[in-house]
Amino acid sequence: MKVFIEPENKEIKLTGKTKTVLGLLNKLNLRPTQALVIRNGQLLTPDRRLYPDDNIIIRPVISRG
Amino acid sequence: MKCRRCKKQAVVALPGHNTAFCAECYLLFFKRQVEKAIKDHKLLTQKDKILVAISGGKDSLALAWQLANLGYDVTGLHIDLAIPGSSEQARELTTSFCKNFNIELKILEIKNEGLAIPEVKKRIRRPICSVCGQIKRYFFNKFALDHGFTVLATGHNLDDEVARLFSNTLRWDTAHLSDQGPLLPAENGFVRKVKPLYRLTEFETANLCYLVGIEYGFAPCPYSTGASFTYYKRLLEELEFKQPGRKLQFYEGFLNRGQKGFKLLEQKQGQELTPCPECGYPTSEELCGICRIKKVMEKI
Repeated sequence: MKVFIEPENKEIKLTGKTKTVLGLLNKLNLRPTQALVIRNGQLLTPDRRLYPDDNIIIRPVISRG
Repeated sequence: MKCRRCKKQAVVALPGHNTAFCAECYLLFFKRQVEKAIKDHKLLTQKDKILVAISGGKDSLALAWQLANLGYDVTGLHIDLAIPGSSEQARELTTSFCKNFNIELKILEIKNEGLAIPEVKKRIRRPICSVCGQIKRYFFNKFALDHGFTVLATGHNLDDEVARLFSNTLRWDTAHLSDQGPLLPAENGFVRKVKPLYRLTEFETANLCYLVGIEYGFAPCPYSTGASFTYYKRLLEELEFKQPGRKLQFYEGFLNRGQKGFKLLEQKQGQELTPCPECGYPTSEELCGICRIKKVMEKI
């Protein structure tokens, strides 16, 4: 699974046991209301299942200045 | 998760409200939160001529969109702060948003006032975020008064407001606690100011922008690293995670049961404001903060 983290556009590849959005957010040390999680243009809630071929965008929401 | 209203697949989960919504119902939820804020605190009427402060970030864009969508008379004001690597993008995003959604936009270039933020940062010793905020508040207020707007609306959200309340409480800053809230009535030299997004979190405005197709700037201001508000927001986010809904309860509790006490205290011991002899802006000092900054800038 490829994960693009904004705003730096950092790309990471995850293999193995990340099966849900919540699991992915935990891995990235983010709480569910700290980032939008987007797959194929759709917003995902924390319970949604993830798959090995997914391309996921993580867009943190906290504003600074 | 299913949408609470229509049972379709949910796209936004809101633990603070113990609920989740599909895209369509989420827009309804957002609209109702703004309508409730406006109604509960008598923030706006359809007769108001509203100036919306638009930075190009998600909150101010979401606010302008929602107010226009509710049929209010809305004009945007964007202040170009002249910060390299940030202001250009913010201005472009604001301009393109207003064009796309047919919202009238005015742009004020702060460098024309002799206050380009990078220059101010070099010469003023105080933290730049505080000085920048002071400059923006001054010119938003001045523009609204000079151009006949009845009210200035800003995109402050629940996270901004709770972080500010937390910070004011840590310092027991009675002056700021006395007037913190979604409505600041018009007074001599001050236009009425409202915060119609005060019940909505940053997460909620980000979701709205995504679902409506509002492109916004999410790169942080290059000068904001280490700002204490960002730290407080992280602390409060952790509290909200453990106790969903706590932020809104804390803030509404303050408005309903805390603020009045501070207001009374401030009436007894607060400093009186008089017009600045140079520009007329209300101040407790001999000269207002902006005229003092201008004097420093002119010296060099």
